[in-house]
Amino acid sequence: MTYAADMNTSADPICDPITLEIIQGAIQAAQSEMEALIERTAISAFIREKKDFYTAIFDRNGVMAVGSMVPIFGDITTPVFEHFPIEAMQDGDLYWYNDCYGSYGAVSHSNDQVLLAPVFHNGRRVAFVMSWAHFADIGGMRPGSISPDATEIWQEGIIIPPTKLIEAGAVNDAALAIFHRNSRFPAQSEGDMSALMASVRLGAQRMTEASDRFGAAVLEDALAQLLDRTRRLVRRKLAETFDYGTHRFTDAIDSDGHGNGPFHLRFAIIREKGPDGADRFIFDATETDDQAPGPVNLLMNRSIPGMALGLFYLGGEPGQVCNAGGPLALDEVRLREGSLVKPNWPAPLGMRGLTMMRVLATLNGLVNAAGGQAPAAQAAYVVALIRGSYTAEDGTATPFLLADGIGVGYGARAFADGMDAVYFVAQENYPIEFTELGYPVSFRTYGMVMDSGGPGAFRGGTGILREYEILADHAMLGIRIDGVENPPWGINGGKSGAPGRIVINPGMADERVLPPLSDGTMLKKGDVVRIETGGGGGYGHPFDRPAAKVLEDVLAGLVSNEAAAREYGVAVTGRQVDEAETARLRTARPVVKPFHRKEYLDVL
Amino acid sequence: MSFDGADSARGAGPALTLAVDIGGTFTDVALADIATGQVWRAKTPSRPDDPSEAFLTGLRLALRAAGAVPGDLRQVLHGTTVATNMILEGKGARAALVTTRGFRHVLGIGRQDIPRAANLYNWIKPERPVPASRIVEVAERVLPGGVVTQPLDEDSVAAAAESLREMCVDAVAICLLHAFANPEHERRTAEILRAALPGIAVTASSDVLPVVREYERTLASVLNAIVMPGVTKYVGRIEDKLTAEGVPAPLLLMQSNGGVAGADKIRSAPALTALSGPAAGVVGARSVAAASGINDILTVDIGGTSADICLVSGGKIGLTQQGQVGDWPLPLPMVDMVTIGAGGGSIARVADGVLTVGPESAGATPGPAAYGRGGTEATVTDAHVVLGHLPARLLGGDMALDVVAARRALEDGVARPLGIAVEDAARGILAIADNKMVGALRVVSVERGFDPRDFTLLPFGGAGPLHGCALADLIGTRRVLIVPAPGILCADGLMAADLKSEFSRARPRAGVADMAEAERLCAELEADAAVWFDAEDVAEADRQTSRVALLRYAGQGNELAVPWADTVEALEAGFVAAHRALYGFELSAPIELVTLRVEARATMQALAPAVLAPGDPPVPVDHVPIALPSGRQTVPLFDRSTMKAGAIIEGPAIVSQLDTTTLITPGWTGTVQTSGALLLTKADT
Repeated sequence: MTYAADMNTSADPICDPITLEIIQGAIQAAQSEMEALIERTAISAFIREKKDFYTAIFDRNGVMAVGSMVPIFGDITTPVFEHFPIEAMQDGDLYWYNDCYGSYGAVSHSNDQVLLAPVFHNGRRVAFVMSWAHFADIGGMRPGSISPDATEIWQEGIIIPPTKLIEAGAVNDAALAIFHRNSRFPAQSEGDMSALMASVRLGAQRMTEASDRFGAAVLEDALAQLLDRTRRLVRRKLAETFDYGTHRFTDAIDSDGHGNGPFHLRFAIIREKGPDGADRFIFDATETDDQAPGPVNLLMNRSIPGMALGLFYLGGEPGQVCNAGGPLALDEVRLREGSLVKPNWPAPLGMRGLTMMRVLATLNGLVNAAGGQAPAAQAAYVVALIRGSYTAEDGTATPFLLADGIGVGYGARAFADGMDAVYFVAQENYPIEFTELGYPVSFRTYGMVMDSGGPGAFRGGTGILREYEILADHAMLGIRIDGVENPPWGINGGKSGAPGRIVINPGMADERVLPPLSDGTMLKKGDVVRIETGGGGGYGHPFDRPAAKVLEDVLAGLVSNEAAAREYGVAVTGRQVDEAETARLRTARPVVKPFHRKEYLDVL
Repeated sequence: MSFDGADSARGAGPALTLAVDIGGTFTDVALADIATGQVWRAKTPSRPDDPSEAFLTGLRLALRAAGAVPGDLRQVLHGTTVATNMILEGKGARAALVTTRGFRHVLGIGRQDIPRAANLYNWIKPERPVPASRIVEVAERVLPGGVVTQPLDEDSVAAAAESLREMCVDAVAICLLHAFANPEHERRTAEILRAALPGIAVTASSDVLPVVREYERTLASVLNAIVMPGVTKYVGRIEDKLTAEGVPAPLLLMQSNGGVAGADKIRSAPALTALSGPAAGVVGARSVAAASGINDILTVDIGGTSADICLVSGGKIGLTQQGQVGDWPLPLPMVDMVTIGAGGGSIARVADGVLTVGPESAGATPGPAAYGRGGTEATVTDAHVVLGHLPARLLGGDMALDVVAARRALEDGVARPLGIAVEDAARGILAIADNKMVGALRVVSVERGFDPRDFTLLPFGGAGPLHGCALADLIGTRRVLIVPAPGILCADGLMAADLKSEFSRARPRAGVADMAEAERLCAELEADAAVWFDAEDVAEADRQTSRVALLRYAGQGNELAVPWADTVEALEAGFVAAHRALYGFELSAPIELVTLRVEARATMQALAPAVLAPGDPPVPVDHVPIALPSGRQTVPLFDRSTMKAGAIIEGPAIVSQLDTTTLITPGWTGTVQTSGALLLTKADT
């Protein structure tokens, strides 16, 4: 990447601080407008109900200046420039890809379609805009295109290398036709692509207007300053957390769904003085385990560690609201080819979401191990893929795909409990009524899992309980849960969260627990699927949690009476705290260690 | 109730309408003689401890000014933010929720997302208005289409009633799955609970928001429940005071949809007022602009902490169901407007070389530094003071502005940290505040497919007219209308509001429109509307209803409202045109009819328009120095009350009046209209 060369480091910026603030507001408004358009017009439930889409705006050289608040964007633009020289781009062009390996992990599973357009003003290129969305089905071995069974990326749907979808206004309809023909749900594919294209068109229009309003040179300088501001802030905070030397943290995912694992993520941050005397921050993941045969490989773009750390450090900083610039805060990112976070072609990638969540937890661990205050670990969000067919009212067999993303518990923090029952930024659930209206399932329960949040002075977030009854004639179930063997760790006395699990026909004669990362389970009408997702790690000694908060959790059904006494030393009788018994219990205060995963540990 | 103003049986004097708008600091009262259009105004300090006291004081002041008696009143109109404040401040009633067994945590889970604009590392899930410890379950189950698979177990409802009694709650919300398609279980549960728990307010979700998606519907019923006891008490207290005072007129309250409704309706669905605060001003703006012959306006209501921005096209105020109160979505029909955290009290700060303005506000206390009430941080108002836009002594007011304190606040807080002159700092603060408002102006215009240059900007609220010219320059609008009383437009809006209610029903299953079914559903909704008209005592001739269809492409999650048409083809054509206009494309996908809505209204008798007599050109009462980008300049200061129709004022100039100050910048020319409004126009350059 060539970030440094693009930075405006001149002492005399063209854009003054007041205009800068105004431009930032205008660009963020443009970005939200692009997102609103996708949300209102997309067709597939995955985009418009779950809201799996993002947008971003880049400077004239393709460096991201404003993006959605998620740490999963890689360097989006470079892969396009390698195929289509930046200087040859024209007004009205639109570029498209989903090629994970061809984009060095800028997208990390093939369902995610990226549309990128250059923006011109009076013939001069001034910016790029991007819209991105997860398409429900792009072909591949199973409906939904991602499956724990995959062993090669070709099984995960059609691959679009960087392609010019519109050339100076003329749409390549043949490319679109080939793409839609490869989907099991072509109408959704067509509708979603129309929404995405309209969104990029709108973003380009807004950026042209911004150039009219502020002047292209001022706008360009403003984008450079926004990036530089974030970069400086993140580096300052990195220096506060990480002393000179090497800081390490290791976490692990359980399995790849093919009997292999655990896979360790061994990360390090090295701070050293460079030849010029300035600090150098190096992220090193080279000791991470080898890639997996199953689809849990995360082709991690070099931008990701810096973007995640940047987002963490920007939290709570007023006025720092654009998440770009974080990747520029790291001087070097070291990855090893053939490892879990830099797999070699054609390793499958479809279920990389669980590894992504563990990467974020490992980065939190790095900060904590160095004495910073990052959250305890969160569980990895869960995906259930239920596909099959049902008999419609007119008697025809109708195929369906229910790709249900289910929230988990997030890690507790030094200032607050972990978030209960949350999936991720901007990703929503399928409401019960919506799902029952659109799919052949009915729900027996939807709630939070008791005792799933890791005990702590601040409790880890709780997992979700979702129990389906299958109404279809038959269905095949694919499931992705992680953190069963290695549940999310707690910190500073806080304990690990409870692991998730999946049970078929609970309480019945044929009750069975499924492997947490598995596919191909056949279900018939009347079968019940019970999914419990994991809780987040706790923070601080559980005996320091105020008894009143423990009582509230008990009355809310989030903590059992037994766990209140055992974990928190709080006795609850009826709707009251038994003060005397609590005082007695709390005299036997357990000794704790810095980390906890099933037991207290000095180092994970 | 009388809508023709001719029923004079109760009082000997003229038929009068009273409007009372209670704000954070002052309660504004307007009393109008409907036949002549004459208006008397009164202002009294608000009484947050008991707002009805200020209501009564204002009523007496206004009657005295008019020389009228309580018996002359034909209508009493009122806008209240009691419900809004209870939600925002978390001061609603202690409430509980009854829900379907197995689904107790639906409210706590919400949509399981971290909001798009939040940071995942420090976001805290907001505490729900009802904690899970006060959510009880009943055994029952309804499936899509309203099919009952498990009948309501009334014993479980009785057990729930027992738990609720132990919880000592004042209000209960009921939200059962799929109740929007079949409300029977909710109705029966409500009956049992009302019988078992006398005196406790009970809300059923199917009465508040009969639409699909359980979280949002649960939230709406919970919010309705927590405000119900407080609103009921408040409305009752005002009615008691009116009765004691000898006022024979009914009490009508402003709703979020920009219309008024009778007290009984508000008592049963108080959440309908939760977004009503800014609605009255927009209704007032529309009516005052119409008096000047202007029907396409962009309104900007600038208060102390926020600004509300709205578009009125062809005299029509748009409705949305995507409202939000604090942390909570509240999808009840409301005036389609955008609220942003930029107002006169918004605080300007510099951190890390970055200047930000708002959303934090100095509020009424301590207020801007210039108010001399202890505020030390620079605010938008202080920036105006530094630039000379606000005369040091507000006309007719008792309050002098502390120019030195304002200057000091800007110097310390903004100018020195940024290394710029204090006037430049002031201009920077205003530029940032103006641009935030421009962002919102674009949302309601450009994003909705309108060109802001086709509209007249109508700034109001105490601080609005200071920003009119600057905002118009930024969005390219060449006309700005300053209404006669911009600071108290909400009271006028109450008098201009229609009696209004919406009745909507989602089809059990969305699909291609079936005109026979649609006709039947619309007829049912119109029957509901007729019941409401009866309850509001509206004469047959005054009843107006219109049908609206909400359509989408199969698969989409959002519907577009399309005016009624008699054939499927015409409805779909209307939808496709609206989709193309709004989003720039159309699809070949099938089109679904999702929801039908009947909008019912009764137009109140309009106030006779005010007529301002022509007269001599105005004479400045003073000349004051202001800091323009081109340098300091002394400009004339006019007293608005001395201006006659036809008067022309060239900018730069300042026009001062009791409730606001207008800044006319260079290049703008003001012309006083016969309606009393001041129309600012910009010559072509």
